[in-house]
Amino acid sequence: MNNKRVFILFFIIIVVASLLRFWQLGQVPSSPDWDEASLGYNAYSIMQTGRDEYGKFMPLIMRSFDDYKPALYVYFVIPFIKLLGLNVVSVRLPSVIFGILTVIATYFLVIELFKNRGVLRLRSGQAHTQKIALLTSFLLAISPWHIQFSRIAFESNVGLALNVFGILFFLKGLKKPIWFLLSSFVFGMSFHIYQSEKVFLPLLFLVLLLIYRKEIVKIPKKYIISAGLLLLIILLPLFSFMLTNKEALARARGVSVFSDQTPFLKDNVIRVARDKENNDFLGIVLDNRRILYAKSIVAGYMSHFDLNWLFITGDISRHHAPGMGLLYLFELPFLLIGIYVFIFNSNIFGLDKQSKLLIILWFLITPIPASITSGVPHAVRTLNFLPTFQIFTAFGILFAFRKISNLGYLRYLIFFSLSLFFIFNFSYYLNQYFVQQNYFNSQDWQYGYEDTVSFVDSQQYKYSKIVVSNKPYLDQSYIFFLFYLKYPPADYQKESLFASGGFRENHKFGKFEFRPIDWNKEEKSENILYVGKPDDFPQNVKVIKEVNFLNGQPAIKIVED
Amino acid sequence: MDELFFCFEKEIKMRKYFVLFLIVILAVFLRFYQLGQNPPSISWDEAAWGYNAYSLGIDGRDEFGRFLPHDYLESFGDFKPPVYAYLDIMPVKIFGLNEFAVRFPSAILGSLTVLITYFLVLEIFSNRKWEIGSAKLDKEVGNRKEKSHFSPQISVSHLSLLTSFLLAISPWHINLSRAAFEANVATFFIVCGVWLFLAAVHNKKWLIVFSAISFVLSMYTFNTSRIVSPLLVLMLAIGFRKKLLEIKRETILAMIVGILLILPTFKFLISPQASLRFKEVNIFTDGSIVGTSNTEITNDQNVWWSKVIHNRRFLFAKEYLRHYFDNLNPNFLFIRGDGNPKFSTRDVGELYLLEVPFLVGGLLFIFKKKWGDWWLVPLWLVVGIIPAATARETPHALRIETILPTFQILTAVGLVFLFEKIKDLENLSRYLKKLIFFLFALFLTFNFLYYFHGYYAHYPREYSGEWQYGYKDSISYVQSVENNYDQINITDSLGRPYIYYLFYTKTDPKEFQKTANITREAFGFVTVNAFDKYRFAKDIRTIDNKGKRVLYINNFFQIPNDAKILKTFYLLNGSPILAAYTI
Repeated sequence: MNNKRVFILFFIIIVVASLLRFWQLGQVPSSPDWDEASLGYNAYSIMQTGRDEYGKFMPLIMRSFDDYKPALYVYFVIPFIKLLGLNVVSVRLPSVIFGILTVIATYFLVIELFKNRGVLRLRSGQAHTQKIALLTSFLLAISPWHIQFSRIAFESNVGLALNVFGILFFLKGLKKPIWFLLSSFVFGMSFHIYQSEKVFLPLLFLVLLLIYRKEIVKIPKKYIISAGLLLLIILLPLFSFMLTNKEALARARGVSVFSDQTPFLKDNVIRVARDKENNDFLGIVLDNRRILYAKSIVAGYMSHFDLNWLFITGDISRHHAPGMGLLYLFELPFLLIGIYVFIFNSNIFGLDKQSKLLIILWFLITPIPASITSGVPHAVRTLNFLPTFQIFTAFGILFAFRKISNLGYLRYLIFFSLSLFFIFNFSYYLNQYFVQQNYFNSQDWQYGYEDTVSFVDSQQYKYSKIVVSNKPYLDQSYIFFLFYLKYPPADYQKESLFASGGFRENHKFGKFEFRPIDWNKEEKSENILYVGKPDDFPQNVKVIKEVNFLNGQPAIKIVED
Repeated sequence: MDELFFCFEKEIKMRKYFVLFLIVILAVFLRFYQLGQNPPSISWDEAAWGYNAYSLGIDGRDEFGRFLPHDYLESFGDFKPPVYAYLDIMPVKIFGLNEFAVRFPSAILGSLTVLITYFLVLEIFSNRKWEIGSAKLDKEVGNRKEKSHFSPQISVSHLSLLTSFLLAISPWHINLSRAAFEANVATFFIVCGVWLFLAAVHNKKWLIVFSAISFVLSMYTFNTSRIVSPLLVLMLAIGFRKKLLEIKRETILAMIVGILLILPTFKFLISPQASLRFKEVNIFTDGSIVGTSNTEITNDQNVWWSKVIHNRRFLFAKEYLRHYFDNLNPNFLFIRGDGNPKFSTRDVGELYLLEVPFLVGGLLFIFKKKWGDWWLVPLWLVVGIIPAATARETPHALRIETILPTFQILTAVGLVFLFEKIKDLENLSRYLKKLIFFLFALFLTFNFLYYFHGYYAHYPREYSGEWQYGYKDSISYVQSVENNYDQINITDSLGRPYIYYLFYTKTDPKEFQKTANITREAFGFVTVNAFDKYRFAKDIRTIDNKGKRVLYINNFFQIPNDAKILKTFYLLNGSPILAAYTI
């Protein structure tokens, strides 16, 4: 392949990636979920007042719904709000842009992996390198997993982009140490964007150190020290926050397998009691609860290698298109071949041992942060799997195609059926994502607030009070009202009295009250408007507006007595 | 000199057989120790096997009086393939009609499977030594090449011993060998069938006839094998087509024998009864998939391409794949085992956690090294899951048991390979190597003890309810007092009480057939409502008992207020399950 063709193909891939990420952004998925609404409103709040919804000045940790997450994404949103106003598109744009950047960075990363230590000698090797790099980047461009999180404001996706860049710059740094500074800057940012990176990155650093220890030793000390210092400075606020704020660890504790101990250990307590009763020393050792913890962590880790999760079902519906897994089914055979080829035959494509080890270890450490949490397997917390799956698959495709090319006339038949399968799989995905997703999953995307809020806003002059339910699935309804009303943040900070973000917390601002509606106990005056779930109200109330989910099921009722 | 060498060889061979002997002893111990007491009670299927064997042993008729049934036992209307009952006749005659005797065929054939596996693996990798490294270890000294280093070799007999050992301690195989599961017997026949087939194509050609017999027997033993066995035979026949042509005479004879043997049951196999249960449990009757397909097409305004991509056949194919992959779920294989506590202790996976890296390694190496007839192992694994994936309940340790011992073979390959590699590493100190082996042995012991301890210390207590515990105690109580009553009304809330009453009272089958009141529903379900003094019903208040002295055996939680409780029966975890009372 000459450079011109490579460039054209790469350009096409970037266009495809952009199209798939920009097309109908804001309409698909049908609505921001509460985290997206919260990111948007907090960005808006900081933009206008310098403070978040809790009145905290320029926070590095967002309290949000008491989940205390890294805040960097919020700052990325601010310029887009300035440009386009507070809406779904501007909240999602940083993720989209970083998603496209990941596709680009992946190409260069693969090239870099092959170039590493000058193994690339053969001309044929160079052609392979470019083919694999292009193929990997193309597979990532059309990846259901990557598209899913590139089109919504999920911080994890930006974290992935930063990590890919970080590794790319690190590899470049091995040859030109000045790149190390950039690498540590990017990695440092990644710590500020998403929780899981705090576990993933130290592991990744360990892996890089282990694999490239000999190269690193040879690099002039001043670069290493300054890169290390830079990273330390970027991380300093995080350390100080952790030391001063006990709640910061709350989130980590809340989602970990160690959190809710009583039901988890219930049976074990009986076992230990019986072992003691029977003087069963072996039993006391084996039924130790630490073994149970270890087992549950290993189980969490291994759950990410469930073929159903990867190819057929995915996890919760916000994390995948309906009827799809995280990878294409057509990728499965190539993935398996690819892993085999990657381990035993990668030298035919000119990949050296270190690069090989890097990809394999990267792949193996990725599920670790998720495995100590509950709710496994988890497509967001393991987004760092990308693009290793795509690299393996690209190896598999290239290898298989080489074999098939030797098959005489039969090859046309095979290529034809493979292309057919690919086209079928890809168009099925596009349809599931862009058409079926809104129909089947609008409730999971907390659809309904946009119409509700604009209607309530147009009618609110008639009422003295507006009560909005916050029972599931309308939890955190206040943030959607803030978001769509563009409620002045300065006012909210004064009126909210800093109600916490916990999931059962009631909120209040302006005329609005957010609390569970218990119809029998409501005061029922003409001046009050109620917004709730259909089952919050009896049959005989006066419904002035009904908002439906996109599959026609009633979502929200607006009621007057 | 030669003679000396020969002696040496012979001694090694003897030592191998001694180790194999120890492994089989271990297998027998793990399958027979407390066989009658743990699992803590017999399931209704086990009771049915035992009673049918008892009945067949008396006059050659099954419980309902069919003479020497070869195609099926009607039993609860599930049309059981009959072999297990025949295998159980002798044990019941020798040990009496009890739990141990019922489980004996499964336990003994399970132990034999461990033995046969040794010979199977020898055949698969043709008994010889294989080099594990590549030949690129030559060093150039001056201008001549010198072999500085011999690539380490693996002897297949070691691999075979390791596989046997892994199967001997396998939680999957132990659990299923310790109860009367016909699947476990089918696994024995299939392992035998494959082994005999390989032995036939390798040298002893007449064994192919026995291979055919073995495969046919598996089809008379277990429903799923009726699909797995033909698929395996097809796979073997295609793989060894050239060899089979060489031994044409024996092959044809084997085919004739096989067909003749399958002929008697063929009419039944294609009958609606045989597929009754399949229709009930298979995924293709799931209407919601058609609904989804229609909705999706409507969402696309019924355009033609939407009808293509949302074709229900593709959705069913995807659904099939989902159930197929379920059987490879890591949680099922390595952490929790089958969701049904009859097949697993729910403490460990179907395989040991420690096996994970070696299984993955073995799978990779077996493709890389291509020793002997290696292709058989992964294909067997893939084929063995095909029928089980059509069912709604997946994963299912019982229906895919016929893929054993492929997992153990792969694990053994991975183990041998990695250990030889480690031994061969030059820059690793001897002590470190020893430490690695020691740690491995330690972890394996730990894994095994964790399972073994759980199985004996906790399993019976925690899951006695799953094994219909309570029937035995209540029946022996009923027997001690039944002379005082005219009628005994028994709840069927624990499931199929009649078979337990037959089993524990050892009622003469003729007597049973004479007094029994039986209903046969659509779907083939057989319900026994009464025999002798015993009356069975879901709600025992509905049973007519005018002017009779009645003893009630009811679910503890359905006792009426005016009952006079005579005795309560408890599960092993202390919660009450049944009670005897009068009114």
